[in-house]
Amino acid sequence: MSALQTFMLVVDHDKEEAKRIAEGIAHEVIVDIETRKTTLIDTVQSLGEYINDEDPILRGKAISYLTAIIQALSPKYLSRQQIQVLTTFFCDRIEDGGAVDGLQALQGLDRFNKFLATQVAQALFSNFQDLQSRSQTQRFHVYQLLNDLMSNHRGAMRDMGDISLLGVVDIMTGEKDPRNLMIVFSILKVIMIEWDISNHVETLFDSVYNYFPITFRPPPNDPYGITAQDLKGRLQECISSTRHFAPHAIPALLDKLDSTSPNVKKDALSTLIACIHSYDPNTVSKFSITIWEVLKFEILNAQEEFLSETSLEALQAIAQRLSEGVTEVSQELPLAKYLQPITKECNEQLQEPQNKQAKPAQSILSRVSAASPVSFVLVVQTVVPPIFTLYQEADGIVKQRALLETLNVLFEAAITVFGQWTTRGGEAAIENPLLEFKDQFSDLFGQALMGAAKEEVSFRVTALKGFLRLSTLRDFFQENEIGLFVQYLDEILIKEESVGRDDLKKEAIAALAEISKHKPRLIVDITFPAFVATLPEEDEGSDARYMPTLETLAQISVERDIFETLFRRLFSKLSVLLQKEQPGSVAYPRAILVTLLYVMQQRNMEQDQSVDLYFDKVVVGLCRDVAASASGKAKNRILKDPTVLDTLGRLCNLLVRSVSTQKQEQVAENVYSLFSSPEDFVPIPFTQTTNADQERTIIISTYLLAGISKDCSNKIPHTDPDMSGLLLDLVHRSVSSADPATHQAYLRHLALLVNKFLSKQDVTIAEKLFDSLLQSQDTESQSLNPATIRTIFWLSKALILRLAPSTTHILTSLLALLSSPDQQTSATAAQGFSIILGEDDILSATNGATIRLLCRQRLFTTVIPLISSRIREVNIAGTDDSAAAKKSPDHIKPAHLTALAGILSTNPHGPQLPTLLPLLLQSLDLQTADSVAVRIATLDTLAVIIRDNGVVVIDQCGHVQSLVTRLLKTTSTSTGPGAVNSPRLRADALKCLKLLATNQVPGAAANARAPPGISPLLPVKAQVLRSLRAVLDDPKRDVRKAAVDARAAWLRGVDDAPEEDE
Amino acid sequence: MAEMQNSNPTILNAADLPTRLRPTATRKSEYGGIFTSALPLAPVDFESAPSSDSEDDNLLEEPIDEQEIYDLISSISDPEHPISLGELAVVSLPDIAIRPTLPDVPDSPLQTVTVLITPTITHCSLATVIGLGVRVRLEQSLPSRFRMDVRIKEGTHSTGDEVNKQLADKERVAAALENGALMGVIAKMMETCH
Repeated sequence: MSALQTFMLVVDHDKEEAKRIAEGIAHEVIVDIETRKTTLIDTVQSLGEYINDEDPILRGKAISYLTAIIQALSPKYLSRQQIQVLTTFFCDRIEDGGAVDGLQALQGLDRFNKFLATQVAQALFSNFQDLQSRSQTQRFHVYQLLNDLMSNHRGAMRDMGDISLLGVVDIMTGEKDPRNLMIVFSILKVIMIEWDISNHVETLFDSVYNYFPITFRPPPNDPYGITAQDLKGRLQECISSTRHFAPHAIPALLDKLDSTSPNVKKDALSTLIACIHSYDPNTVSKFSITIWEVLKFEILNAQEEFLSETSLEALQAIAQRLSEGVTEVSQELPLAKYLQPITKECNEQLQEPQNKQAKPAQSILSRVSAASPVSFVLVVQTVVPPIFTLYQEADGIVKQRALLETLNVLFEAAITVFGQWTTRGGEAAIENPLLEFKDQFSDLFGQALMGAAKEEVSFRVTALKGFLRLSTLRDFFQENEIGLFVQYLDEILIKEESVGRDDLKKEAIAALAEISKHKPRLIVDITFPAFVATLPEEDEGSDARYMPTLETLAQISVERDIFETLFRRLFSKLSVLLQKEQPGSVAYPRAILVTLLYVMQQRNMEQDQSVDLYFDKVVVGLCRDVAASASGKAKNRILKDPTVLDTLGRLCNLLVRSVSTQKQEQVAENVYSLFSSPEDFVPIPFTQTTNADQERTIIISTYLLAGISKDCSNKIPHTDPDMSGLLLDLVHRSVSSADPATHQAYLRHLALLVNKFLSKQDVTIAEKLFDSLLQSQDTESQSLNPATIRTIFWLSKALILRLAPSTTHILTSLLALLSSPDQQTSATAAQGFSIILGEDDILSATNGATIRLLCRQRLFTTVIPLISSRIREVNIAGTDDSAAAKKSPDHIKPAHLTALAGILSTNPHGPQLPTLLPLLLQSLDLQTADSVAVRIATLDTLAVIIRDNGVVVIDQCGHVQSLVTRLLKTTSTSTGPGAVNSPRLRADALKCLKLLATNQVPGAAANARAPPGISPLLPVKAQVLRSLRAVLDDPKRDVRKAAVDARAAWLRGVDDAPEEDE
Repeated sequence: MAEMQNSNPTILNAADLPTRLRPTATRKSEYGGIFTSALPLAPVDFESAPSSDSEDDNLLEEPIDEQEIYDLISSISDPEHPISLGELAVVSLPDIAIRPTLPDVPDSPLQTVTVLITPTITHCSLATVIGLGVRVRLEQSLPSRFRMDVRIKEGTHSTGDEVNKQLADKERVAAALENGALMGVIAKMMETCH
């Protein structure tokens, strides 16, 4: 059988197979042809018998065979003559299957010429008049051939002029398939842009506009991945392709805005915007006013937010196009003609600026004026003068405020057009038209800000915002004019009493902070002296009036220059205080330190060039003072106060983290000596004679230790050959420490050393220490004192976070403490579980602590099953009277529940939380006052469970009824004797109830509707609504509010029950 | 929706509406304002069990007052505009009153809430719907010892008496609440309640 026959047999059944065979055969033939063993003529002749067959199918197969061979030939093989012969042949047989593909292959060859391209196009146009009656695939091939001709032989196609134009339009008319349309639209776009279309504008426009709006929705799992948006994009490019379409397109698109469907309107608007961007300014100008007349209604009577937003965009785009190339302002400009009716309409609406329609009018002005400098000038010229008049005649402050707001909108636009002081480059060539009104603005806004009654907060806030915008507007105010504004702000902050929520003061601070970015000198020269002057020498113990001042200073001092000034001023205040015999309350020096801390936290201290200066002054200088103070050499007790030491410690910590490694090593060496010589100060570790003041320096030492890098561990004193001595000394001090602050510091110090600095091979030192502490239990009562328990837990925290080898052993030992017969031991240990994963400022990732990702999961999977089985044991023992001998003490179950609450509170999205529901419900059954904390933690966890999983999961566990009942019990004020539900508990329980109603579907956004079907909450709805009605009378307002919200959520969200109790 | 009856009403600034000024708890603590972020107050540890719920605070009773009623109803939206009744000044704080229902019986817990509604224009046909919405919101949110009296403020509506009669008639209110379409409108109005 010849290659041809094989091919023809297979081609019908299996395209892939046929292709493979064709390639195989073609390859053989080609080898033959290329080696000149056989000629192309022979091959064509071998087809002879089939190629003229009566059966079109058979002919098609034969042509496909020929096509397959041509496709496989190297592009240089065929001579010009051969191409010509083949092209003519294929054109004659163009209706036979495969011919189109053959032509496609031929037109891609180098020797295919213009004349042939024309011939092919002609053949296509004259033979495919009935294209739409053929199959999608056939049409697709024809379009592809056309597309290739367009891209490879555009000149030839264009020279055909109207023939190709009409030809394309004719054969595509009626096309409906999205894949085909994608190609058709891109072919047509080329014609629209490059052909002379003047005789057929309407035909061409109609050929594409017929498809508007596109309503195509891709079928699910569409293999071609064409979206409606793709089609819309291509269609939009066609409609906006040439200005010749404008007389047809713009009226038609505006007509579509009458549609009731927001989607159609949206498409019409975005196509309109595309047209505005693409047509030339003259054309846009011709239609500009018509467009405004129509869009006006979309904005003033906004149906949907996005429609008015898109309409505004269109208006702005027109203004931008009409501003192109305009350098001089004149009323004759097309832009001026366009803006005239707009400003007129807006001016009318703004006659009553406090009314609803004024808002859209403001938006319109804002958008068109921000389009270009010229546009801004034209708008300001017509809009601003009437506002002044209206303002003078306004009969109320509400109206005046609305007018100021209108001006603010224009100022905002001015900033867009002319930039701020800090804006780089892009200076506008035209003078800012607002300059003409500069003094008037300054007076008007100054008067409104400072002259209005103090209660008119929102009026003054509006004035303040306007003044601020003008102050940041580039090249507008002089320095002294901004200075005046700064003085106003200072006055508001320093002299005025608080009003209401202090909105004005908040805005004033924000304004100063904003100005500090643009004009830092003004802040340093005007605001700083005024504020620092109000700071007292010492705290007279009255009402801490320095606090607001410090807060303000802190917020405006983030800029580098200003911060340096702040630091110098505050540091000298502090130095003076430290030298005083009677410095007043320690709250004041502490507040100064907090201020510095706050600002340093806001800034990036590592990048600050002055960080070494701050380091020397604070870390070295003040630490030395602390040491001196602890040795009794200070004039006062400021640096002995634990709260001051804590704040100073945080400040040191931040600075130590920001300095170089060398400096950090220096800190490591001085971590206990605090930069003092041995004769001045005795460092803590290993000394016998210490007093409370001296011991308190461990607070500073701990913060310093937290700040230094891990690599400095060999510089820490007392760590050679290993840390065992130092750790043991710290444990002894921690266990016996009486002062809470010192004790806390010892615990963290110990944890830092074990977690961050102890080397891997030395971890056993800490583990042994843990065991020895546990063994210090009193053997008879099995009790431990609280300080020892705390030390045990902090040591455990340090080890568990780094996932030490003995983690499981540690956790089981800790759990064993809960079952201690000693009630105190059990209760203290129970509270300790929240420490293990709790966030800590010192042992934190910021400070380089070793916190392994898996430690949470490890803790969870180890501890939860143990707690769960222990509680079950206790429950069974409790119900089984005969086993009274084995009955465990009453405190054991609450202790386990407390421990559980502690773990869950630090691990809110733990795995498989719903399985814990039975345990959590038991926690809610606790009644007494000392269980409030546990119950609050439980409710927090429940809230997370409900939010993450939705009601469905709870329903699957079968706990809806029991959960709702317990929550309702927790909302009640009238509980049994000895039972307490604090307001916080009641409110939290109500929040959980609300979440149940709003989170019926897992993971869905709040307020998601329940899926069709009966809500699992329905059986309890009546019960909930009835109980909540009583809670509406709760004595506390917050609880009532939560009850109202919960009740509304149940009324709205839990469907299909008759309103039986209304 | 039918043609709007008042398409351009005056709107109050949300910031100017009456609100309850809380004696902020933060003011009491040393570092209320911005410094809280810089300085966690107390380190979380054993001793610091949440003692914020001090006994005194818990016993202090906060009775339902006019502001609370205002907060309940001012966030209802107008059926015509997506704007709240508070911003449209349809309800205002001075037009809310709470009085004992039986002044002669001093021990009676019964109280009457009177809310006067000011329609945006005098011929507003939606005044009844607004009144009904306010009424429903209050009935859902107040304890049963409260009686509601929702009325149109005198002289602010052309058929005020007629509307008041409807709002005061229990039977008619109950019948209106059976009407699905009407309840749909009211549910939409109350979606914005917070």
